[in-house]
This record gives sequence, structure tokens and C-alpha cells, in this order.
Amino acid sequence: MPLDGIYEDLSLVRRRANTVFWIIALLIFLALSYYWKVQILEHRKFEELAAANRTRMRVLAAPRGLIKDRNGVILADNRASFKVSLVRENVKDESASYAAVSRLLGIDESTLRGRIALHKDRQLFEPIVIADGLGPLDVAPIESRRLEFPELVVESEPQRYYPKGTLAAHVLGHLQEQTPEEIRARPDRKIRAGEMVGKTGVEREYDDTLRGQDGSVYEIVDSLGRIQRATGWDYPVQGNDVALTIDWDLQAIAEAALEGREGVVVVLDQDGGILALASYPTYDPNRFITRFTPEEWGALIQDPLSPLENRAIRGLYAPGSIFKLVMSLGGLGFGYVTPSTTAYCSGATQIYGAVRHCWFAPGHGAMDLDDAIKNSCNIYFYALGRKMGIENIALAASRLGFGRKTGIDLVGEKDGLVPDEKWKKAAFNEPWYPGETISVAIGQGQLQVTPIQIAAMTAMIANRGKQVRPHLTPDGGGGIQVDGDPAPTGGAESFKGSTYEAVIAGMWKSANEGGTGQGARVADFDVCGKTGSTQTMSRESAARLAQAGREVKTHSWFSGFAPRDNPRIIVTVLVEYGGGGGATAAPVARRIFEAFKTKVEGGTWR
Amino acid sequence: MALMLDRRLFREIDGVLLALILLQSLIGVVFIYSSSHFLPGAFYVRQLVWIGISLLALLLVLTVDYKYFVSLSFYLYGLVVALLAATLVFARLIAGTKSWISFGLMQLQPSELAKIVMILVFARLFAEYKSAYLTTAHTLGALAVAAVPLFLIIAQPDLGTATTFLAIVGGAFILAGLRKKAVIGLVLAGLVLGIGGWNIALKDYQKKRVTTLINPAGDPRGSGYQVIQSKIAIGSGGFAGAGFRKGTQSQLRFLPARHTDFIFSVIGEETGFLGVFIVIALYFALLARMFLSVPKARDRAGVYIIFTASLLITFQFLVNILMVIGLFPVVGITLPFLSYGGSSLLTSYVACGLVMNVKMRRFANV
Repeated sequence: MPLDGIYEDLSLVRRRANTVFWIIALLIFLALSYYWKVQILEHRKFEELAAANRTRMRVLAAPRGLIKDRNGVILADNRASFKVSLVRENVKDESASYAAVSRLLGIDESTLRGRIALHKDRQLFEPIVIADGLGPLDVAPIESRRLEFPELVVESEPQRYYPKGTLAAHVLGHLQEQTPEEIRARPDRKIRAGEMVGKTGVEREYDDTLRGQDGSVYEIVDSLGRIQRATGWDYPVQGNDVALTIDWDLQAIAEAALEGREGVVVVLDQDGGILALASYPTYDPNRFITRFTPEEWGALIQDPLSPLENRAIRGLYAPGSIFKLVMSLGGLGFGYVTPSTTAYCSGATQIYGAVRHCWFAPGHGAMDLDDAIKNSCNIYFYALGRKMGIENIALAASRLGFGRKTGIDLVGEKDGLVPDEKWKKAAFNEPWYPGETISVAIGQGQLQVTPIQIAAMTAMIANRGKQVRPHLTPDGGGGIQVDGDPAPTGGAESFKGSTYEAVIAGMWKSANEGGTGQGARVADFDVCGKTGSTQTMSRESAARLAQAGREVKTHSWFSGFAPRDNPRIIVTVLVEYGGGGGATAAPVARRIFEAFKTKVEGGTWR
Repeated sequence: MALMLDRRLFREIDGVLLALILLQSLIGVVFIYSSSHFLPGAFYVRQLVWIGISLLALLLVLTVDYKYFVSLSFYLYGLVVALLAATLVFARLIAGTKSWISFGLMQLQPSELAKIVMILVFARLFAEYKSAYLTTAHTLGALAVAAVPLFLIIAQPDLGTATTFLAIVGGAFILAGLRKKAVIGLVLAGLVLGIGGWNIALKDYQKKRVTTLINPAGDPRGSGYQVIQSKIAIGSGGFAGAGFRKGTQSQLRFLPARHTDFIFSVIGEETGFLGVFIVIALYFALLARMFLSVPKARDRAGVYIIFTASLLITFQFLVNILMVIGLFPVVGITLPFLSYGGSSLLTSYVACGLVMNVKMRRFANV
């Protein structure tokens, strides 16, 4: 037993130490219980979080299907390119990161911020494309500084490429990145953020066919986003090819003929298959392949000549004398004239108290129907229009497809306008004036047509009334008038074959017997056609300008087909401010007819 | 009597405690390897070297009677305060804080040394105090002694060490006995200082760590990141764990400070609750062995040394295992014996050495 003098009484401090120890023991037990809760009870949740941490799904973009012409020539192709995306989740310090990234990519910081701001609603982990269309040399410096930029993701993607540049730009259309709103509006299409989809043309119309099925791969990444390994490959499937009825050779000829002008050339086969469709001025769809071309966009949109517009389906023009074909069909079909009915042209006539002129001031003399068509005599059709009245003119126009879409497989087609009493009342709350009928009779007044409607009408005449819907793919012409209402009063087939033959006789004379369409004549090819020159301003102001010594040019039309029997090709030409149709548009058509004839005779037409 | 190498004395060394310390250290080496084998630097080898050095230091501590250390404590106090002041002025900036000082090849943290010195200083201060409760004068005096180094450590700033420091001082006060009004006074003073310190002294990143504790998801990329990743690591471990070197959170480096402050998260991820339970159980055995040595102390100074040294280890252990699972702010406190790091290891071994020192000299006539 120790002595009191040697050992002091430590019982109090020992008791306190003991108490503290048991409190600590309790705390340790509580800590262990919490580990139980996290590791056992909440295990599944944290296991999922750990998996989400390390696995990242990467979309493998599917290449779009190719677009080819009728002979398999590739008009829209794919090529490999790189894109750089930014993952905001991995950005440590926004201002420092954005400054460094903009230096690295050579884009200024405000542009970079703008591109990121476009997608600010997206989840933080979703990559936002900030640069694309890059080559291997462009991305090498980024790859080599991988560790400094954990926020950047470099991926290769198939990129659209139009090997023939501007060729058939309005037919092919172009691609554009969808806005987040557009993507949300169509969840069924499963468009991935940053995907380039068809905005116009065939790219738009056949987008579902051309788009492939994206693949995906799960990548195991570390905390810096470096890929450790990849699993669960689901390879992308390329979209289906689209074969067009276009013949790139004819298309090139059509475009060359329009070079330096504003206008349209539409070439159809007898079934309405589009062999060429040129709208000028044009643009290079390759410029839209990268997502970021604000300057070029702005320039194209603001260009007063609107190169982005497809004039063939969206340009509204007065048909001018081309409309005399409709008048002739209506006049014969409804019994107002016979092929031998004549009218006398002295160069001018007085109708409803106003003096109306023929384009040929000395006058054509006595004319029957085919001569009136051949010479495009206004006086004959003034008289016919007066007899028919606006309602019958409108009915004939409607039978030939005017005033509604042709149903071509391109989006954005316009309806045009065939005026009548009901329309005048609805639009202006005014009665129809008989004088307006006279203007419509020669294709002026309120009449508005698109070049594709003129081409379709010409094809129907060539087919002696068989309905035609212009189409870009062989199966695109399957049905007639898919989006427009069928004409309530019957279609082109309501006119008799003999009626068509009478009109075609006039068209043949026009090209082959020294008529207004003689510029389109091709030896041994029996071209039948009709010209038109439409006033772009009132006759009075035109006269004033002419007096002032200024050149006044009309829009110049030609539409025709060949050969007369068993027609194979329909050509419609419109040259804006081209002057007389016979002088400007008809020779353009001749070049197309000639080229086609040469190809057929040379055996190169399939 | 400074160097007293008596054979009888060495038979009194607590072998069980020593074995538990070494076992924990080796477990630490295993997981330091697992969490850093893909990094250059062979941290596990360095840790083994440090274990050797620390073991030597521990044995060296045993050779000197603790009373001699206690008698030197005020000189050591002066030295440590001078070192801390010098560190503030001269130390290179490492990891944003001025807590390291270089001695040629070796870098030491004077704040680690300060922990040991404070154990001895309080043993000296309170050894002669035999009343049941401290007087106001004693309380204020002891507080002043603690305040000087504490202030220097906070100024570095090293929040982790400062917190540990407070634990030692608080433990000593509890043992010496605080009256109710003293407790109330200290709590009030603490509140005033705490609120004042929050608004004036604490850096933004430190404030953020405290607010992050309350809502880690509020700042997932910043200070909340560590806690979230650590909790994911522990939780994904489940019952049996992902397996040695197979924890994705640590192997793919989502886990921060894997081989140092967050070594316990690696254990949680790779060995699951089973491993966590074993390590905590072993730790409990170690701490019990230390605390329950209190009755073996021959004198009051010895009781204080055993109690505050044990508290030093306990406090860091508890804070660390609560910190990695998100129950305590991330204050940069390592897990004694398991975390990588020489200074921390050395301090823990020396603290245990002091406990063993007191225990083996329990007989007055030796």
C-alpha cells in the first residue's frame, strides 16, 4: 500500500478523465452509426453517384445520307472534321478560362461568350460546341494542352460537304444548328444539341431520310476528364441516300445561262421530274456548314438580290403573255372561240372606254388562234377576255394549277394569286371592274404565279391534260397535289385533247414559224413554246421613263417543251428585267433543249 | 537522471499500445499505396521511413523522465513561441499558409511542436493545483498562456491546428475543473470572439468551408466538392468495399487529398463498412488503452499529460472521420497514424511516447 505522503489524491481528476473518455466513446459510436447509414442504408444512391462521376456518354454523330443526281453523281457528301466543345461544369474560373480558351481558339472572347450564352439553359455537364469545321492541324495545339483545359472536349464529326459548290444550291438547301426551342418543340425527332439539320431545300424536305441514327459510347473518365477506357459501343448508322431526278449537267448549263442575271430556269421531264432547277443569284451552301458564320449570314440575308430565296418556288411574278395559253385553253374549252375564230389587230383597240395597245404597234392584221399564240397578239386576247369574263378566266387558271401550290417536294412554295370577284371583295371590299379583266387576259393585273407553276402548266399542256406534280425524287411524284386542295372544278384533264392540240399548234408556230418564240428553236426537235414579257411598272410610268431616255426592261419569260409529239423535256425560263421574252429567255431555253437533244442522241441520257 | 536506461523500466513499456500504433500506421501505409501508387514520389516508402523516424523519437522520449520535460516546459514554450513568430515572418508560402519552416532538407511545422509543448506546459501549470475548481485568476492566467501561440497559429493561418490546440487547452481546463460561471463566461467570450473572428479574421475560403458543411451542394465545384466526392467514395463502398486499388473515386482522382486528409475515405470506398468498422474498432482500442492509463499516473502532472495527449489523438481522429463524411467542416486535420505526412506522424508518436513515459514510471521509488 502506497503511503499518503508519496502519492497524492488524484481521484477527482481521474473521475473527470474517465467521464470525458466515455463521452468520447459515445461520440465514436455515433460516428460509426452514421457510417452505417451512409455505407449500408444509402449505398445505392452513392454508388449511382460514383458511376455518374466516372462514366460519360458520348454521342457518335451519324453521317447524313448522300444526295446524288439521277446518274449517281454526288451533290452532297460528308467529310471528317473536328469540333471543340466546352463543358461549363469543368470551368474553374470563368473569366480566366474564357480568356484562355478564346486565345487558344483564336476567337474573341465576346464571340465565345455569345456562343456559350446561346445554350445557357442546358445542363452544366452538356458540352456546348464553340468551334467546328476544324482540320487536324487546328486541333493539334488543343490536344497537346489537354491538361490545362479540362473544360474543352475535342471530337471528330462527319461534316456536310457540297463538292460542286453553288451548283443546285436552292435544290439541295443548307444545314443549320437547331435552336434549343426548335429541339424542344419536336422531341420525337430526337435531335441532339448541336446537330446540324436541314434548314431548306432537299436537306430539309428529306431530313428524316437523310439523318442517320446516332450512336453512343460510354467512356470512363478520371476527374480531369481524361478517358481511361470506353465501353458499350453503339455504332452510328449513316442516313439513307437520296437520289434526285436532277441531272447535274443540265443543272450546270441552266446555271451558266443565268450567270450574272437574276432569274429562274426550271427543267422538267414529261412526268414532272425536275431535271434542273436554277435560281439566280445563288450562294454556296458550304458556307453554312460550320455553325458560326454570322457575318456571312447577315450579308446574304441583307443582299437586295436575296440570293437565299428560291425564286422558282417563292418568286411571284405576273405571267404576262404566257397566260395567253390559259386564255386559249379556256376560250376553246368553254366554247368562246374555235381554232378558226379570227380577230383583227390594228395595233390598238378601244375597250370599256380605254385605248389598249398591242405590243406590235403596226398591228398583226387578221389573226386566228394559233397565229395569235404565235405572235402573242394582245388584241386577240383582249377580245377573248372580254367575252369570257373574269370568272371563266379564273376557272381555266385554276384547272391548270394556278393560285395554289404545285406540291413540289420543297418547303416554302408559294400559292400565287388568281384574282376574281370574290377575291376583290374580300381583299379590298370593292367590286370587280371590267377593265381589270382585260389586264388579266394578257397576264397582267393582279395575277401572280411562280415559275414552277408555269413549268407544271407547260408539262400538263405537253401531256395533253395529264396532271403533273413537279418532284425532285422519283417517288416524290407519287401522288398529285398532296398539300393543295384538288381543284373543285376539275383539273387540266377536264379540257379535251383536241383543245390541247390546237394550243400546241400555236406554240409550235411560235418557235418554228418565225413567232415570238423562235429564239428557242432547235432544228429537228419540234420545240413548242410561248414567250412573255411582263411589265414591271405601269405603262404610263414606263412611257415617262422611256421619254427620259432611260431603258425600261420587262421581266422576260419563256416556257415550252419538246418534241411536239411524245414530249420529253419541259423548259421554263424567267429572267428578271431581261427585256422581251423572245430576245432573252427563249435563247436560254434553246441552250437547254440543245444540250438535252445532244445527250439523248449521243446515248448519254439515262 | 536525464538518461535513465534501466532494464526494469523497459519491461514497463506498454507493448499493446505500441503494437496498436504500429498496426494503424501499417494500415495507413497500405492505403497510402492504394491511393497514390499512380503518382510519382513513392509516398508509401516515404511514410515507412517516417514511421521509423517517429518510432525512434518515441523511444527517445521514453528514455527521459517526463518530469524532466515538464520542468523544461516553460523554456520549450518560449522556444516554440519564437519559432512560430519566426515562421510567420520567414517561412515560404506553402499551400497558401505560412506554416512550414525549412531545416535544411527537413521541413517542420512548428505548430506541430507547439501541440506537444502545450501538453507539457499545462501539465506544469495545473500540476500544483489541487482544488476542485480553478479560480478566476488561474483561469485567466492559463488562458493567456494558451492565447499567445494560438494567436500565432491562427495568423498563419492554420485553422486545423488551431482547433486541435483549443481541444488540448479545453481538455486541461475540464480536468482542472471549471465553475459554472467560468463555463458561461468562456462560452460568452467564445461567442463574441467567434462572431468577431467570423467577420474580421476568417478568410472567405474558410467561411465558405463552414457554410459548405451546412449545404455542400451549394458550392459543388468549390469547397463543397471535396465533401461531396468524399461522401460518394464512402457511400459507394457499401458493406465490403470496392476492393484494394479498385475504388474509382480514389483511383480516378475524384477524391481530393486522397493519401493525406481523406485517407479514411479511401478506406471506406475500398474496404466498405467492414474496413471502416475494423479501423474504428482498433482506434477505439488504442484510445481506450491511452485514456485508461490515467489511473496509472503517479502524479497530477502525469494525469494531465496522459489525458491531454490522448485527447490530442482522439480529437484529430474524431474530427477527421466526421469531416470526411460531411459532419464537420473541412479544416485540414489529418487522421493520426494513417494519413501521409511526417510532421503529423512524429507528433502523434511523441504524444503516445509521453503517455507511455508516464505509465512506465508509475512507481515513485524508481
